[in-house]
Amino acid sequence: MTPKVDIEAMRRTNERFEPFCEMISVVPDEDHEFTFSAKDNLCAKGFQARAGSRILEGYRPPFDATPIWKMRAAGGLLLGKTNMDEFGFGTFSTNSGYGIPKNPFDPTRACGGSSGGAACAAALLPGHVALGVSTGGSISCPSSFCGVIGMTPTYGRVSRYGLIDYGNSLDKVGLISRSISDIERFLPVISGSDPKDPTSCCQPRLDLSKVRKGPMAVPKECLEGLTPDVARTFDDAVQTLKEGGTEVDVVSMPSLKYAMPAYYVLATTEASTNLARYCGMRFGVAEREYAQHFNDFFSKTRSESFGDEAKRRILLGTFCRMVGFRDKYYLKALSVRQGITKEYLDVFKDHSMVLSPTMPFIAPKFDEIASMRPLEMYSADFLTIPPNLTGLPHISLPCGYHSGMPIGMQAVAPHWEEGTLIDLGKRWGTTFAYKVPEACQ
Amino acid sequence: MRIGLEVHLQLPTRSKLFCSCPTNGDAPNTSVCPTCLGLPGSKPVLNRKALELGIMIAKFLDCRINDRIWFSRKTYFYPDLPKHFQITQYESPVGNDGHYEHEGKRIGIWRVHIEEDPGRIKRVGRSGEEVSLIDYNRSGIPLVEIVTAPDLESPEQARAFIDQLVTELRYLVGINVQDETSVRVDANLSIGEERVEVKNVQGLKNLERALRYEATRQTKVLDAGKRIVRETRRYDEERKITLPAREKEFEEDYGYIGEPDLGEYHIGQWARETVLKETPFARAERMSAELDIPRQTARQVVLTSGSLADLLEKLCKEVPSEKALQWLLGPISSNWGALEKVIDADGGACVIDIVKADASGSITDSEAKIRLQKCAGVKSEGTPACASNPDMISMVNSFLDAHPEVVKDLRNNAKAANSVIGHVMKETKGQYSSKDIVECVKKEISKRV
Amino acid sequence: MSSLEKETVVRVARVARLRLSEEELAKYGKDLEEILDSFEVLNSAPSSESYDFNPIPVMDVLREDEPFIDIDPEELMKAMDTYEGYVRGPKLS
Ligand SMILES: [Zn+2]
Repeated sequence: MTPKVDIEAMRRTNERFEPFCEMISVVPDEDHEFTFSAKDNLCAKGFQARAGSRILEGYRPPFDATPIWKMRAAGGLLLGKTNMDEFGFGTFSTNSGYGIPKNPFDPTRACGGSSGGAACAAALLPGHVALGVSTGGSISCPSSFCGVIGMTPTYGRVSRYGLIDYGNSLDKVGLISRSISDIERFLPVISGSDPKDPTSCCQPRLDLSKVRKGPMAVPKECLEGLTPDVARTFDDAVQTLKEGGTEVDVVSMPSLKYAMPAYYVLATTEASTNLARYCGMRFGVAEREYAQHFNDFFSKTRSESFGDEAKRRILLGTFCRMVGFRDKYYLKALSVRQGITKEYLDVFKDHSMVLSPTMPFIAPKFDEIASMRPLEMYSADFLTIPPNLTGLPHISLPCGYHSGMPIGMQAVAPHWEEGTLIDLGKRWGTTFAYKVPEACQ
Repeated sequence: MRIGLEVHLQLPTRSKLFCSCPTNGDAPNTSVCPTCLGLPGSKPVLNRKALELGIMIAKFLDCRINDRIWFSRKTYFYPDLPKHFQITQYESPVGNDGHYEHEGKRIGIWRVHIEEDPGRIKRVGRSGEEVSLIDYNRSGIPLVEIVTAPDLESPEQARAFIDQLVTELRYLVGINVQDETSVRVDANLSIGEERVEVKNVQGLKNLERALRYEATRQTKVLDAGKRIVRETRRYDEERKITLPAREKEFEEDYGYIGEPDLGEYHIGQWARETVLKETPFARAERMSAELDIPRQTARQVVLTSGSLADLLEKLCKEVPSEKALQWLLGPISSNWGALEKVIDADGGACVIDIVKADASGSITDSEAKIRLQKCAGVKSEGTPACASNPDMISMVNSFLDAHPEVVKDLRNNAKAANSVIGHVMKETKGQYSSKDIVECVKKEISKRV
Repeated sequence: MSSLEKETVVRVARVARLRLSEEELAKYGKDLEEILDSFEVLNSAPSSESYDFNPIPVMDVLREDEPFIDIDPEELMKAMDTYEGYVRGPKLS
């Protein structure tokens, strides 16, 4: 069974919404069973892998990332690479070097980020599954803004081999789709130990039939700072769950307030080392003025080719690990992460999942984003950061609409228990009516 | 004078520390992969053998083995470092707080850790205008770094210390130091209060020279009533002097962070279960006492090769140690190049037979020596032991086939074999000893009888 | 930390090999200050003595010492700027 691929329709969609930074131009002869896309920070043979950054212009990886290889081996046709914030640095996919994806429900609004192109493609292309990557919420956020389902598996569940690093202790490859059955179908495909990525080698076998029972917990800390429409929509969703027989308790998780700073310290310190390699030699942008001193050569390339947010995060991350600041920021953040994990595990003792809205507001308009300060943007991730920081699997499900724009809720399960989240997605799908954007044929 | 050393040695593995590239890359950039080139998307995976060797070295140096260890990223920018961070160990080396006996002196070992080597840079172009050409075959080669306390008291002692250490490590874990220049050392030396570091000295000869120069320089500074400045210097091999390290734009800040791509390793149990071979110096002591031979001689034998020492121990079981030494230091040593392989293959049986025969007086001195040379010559080409040499066997058999009467005669008269022996000796122009031919003939005839 | 010294920002930029204009220094300096201020809450968080580098246990993952070459190094070199097999790089001094 080979699903038909309409390249022309894809091209038209891309002109209007820009989910892709690179697309196939002809459909290959070989049979395929399904089509998929990959976020641009996943290496795939036959495509550039630029991670949304100008500094990687021209980098053609000589190997497939393991999740891409597995999807291809399962019969997938890779349609293209999706736009993203440079190296994953952003909440709206506006820090992209190769096109800013537009929200499928309203092209004057953002898709969210950093897997914005992935969520956009999943919302607009029929029968499409998108490989996304989350470091601090980059699957949940755009899924919520684009009205699709975003599954972020446990850290280490899916191999990161071939993923261009942002924060190595935080990065997770996951799935975005309109349909929970796609998530259920493809999660086992991309999961599993990979000898090329040690962090994937200590996982128990994925067992989707294992489903946790018990009440869900809503941390009261996650109900502060929401816009009224999100608060009301989430309330209604909780009501619907209760009516469906699920118990929902409000709990307190006081350590969640440390998650945002701890996350930004860890993510940027790791990123500042990962991005040190981009320098005008070996791959990506080539400097070629070899008569310069190496410091000038490196500084020139880096200053010219990194975007604004990349520079900001490199500076922040470099600072947080420098002598004199390392203990206060880096080491402290590592130990705070342990504390937050412990608090989650305590909640999981008598609750099956932790539930909250995914984002505190609906997808903003591009002109609203332009006036936001960096700290404001960082703070917008306060709901998606905690499970990401602690490596816990989570799913974002559309749970309502306001002014025609989707609103998402996010459920978090204990490590390795993705089955519980998929079960919730399936149950939710029987009572909730998903909307499809008009632009989708 | 106080001298402390940071000694870097290559660990003898077949593949690199974090990727499977062979360690014997020759032409530039022929042993490279995405990981050791730092390509985006690549990941490191630790080589078990490298960690095992690190544990053995730390244990040998009597270190406290850290049960939980991890790797760290040391970030700095240089064209030979593909990721612009080196994966090394920072807070949690394989071992800490060890010591090492050197000529009766206890040298403190502060830490033993493993790390990856950067690539190699070739500078080309006019001086001052040099650009770099980089070979990443070295990138990711596993190194062990051994850091000593400032317990060494002279440049000569520092050199002798590393020399002994390297010798023992070669024996213990097969560290391969083809020439002394492959040892890379950072040394610190203090005469007064302040210590001066001399970075990146290649080879022991240069180390001794650099330290001597530095000692003299510091003495002069102090004699002139001035103060020593705490600084980092480099050794100029051509001018044979130390110089302040090139004024850097600023001090690099390595900003160490843990390496999350590798996770952590629990090596306590592994280290406890690791049994170390007896080291050459310890073995020399023991052999000297057990075999009643001079200590210097024992060291000389042990350091030449482990199998020579094995042979000596075996010989001493069969013949008086004087006789054994006479053979070992004389004809065996002079034929050692050829004999070593033979002895590794047959456990020394061939040589031991000859020495035994000599000691019992059943063969003459010169006959013994000829037999030894034959043993070395024939066997070094990889042919099997004399009495089962296929050439000789087929020669004996074709003679016997052609002369069935000899076989018949042999049943009554042992002397009849002489005609066979004479024939083979003539055909082989004395290449085999008569004893070997007799043995072979007897064996072949017995098959026919 | 209430104010981030300008020299500190200059130093961080140099360590990170980023060349910043005066305006950029001021802009990033101000952003960093604001962000670092928001990190002050970490001081009140309980600390533990130990720390892990991964959110899940990643332990004792090793590879056997068996050399092999998966991707032809010649192919890898084709994508780089080389001279007689060496990768070209900038001046060292
Ligand atoms: Zn390699």
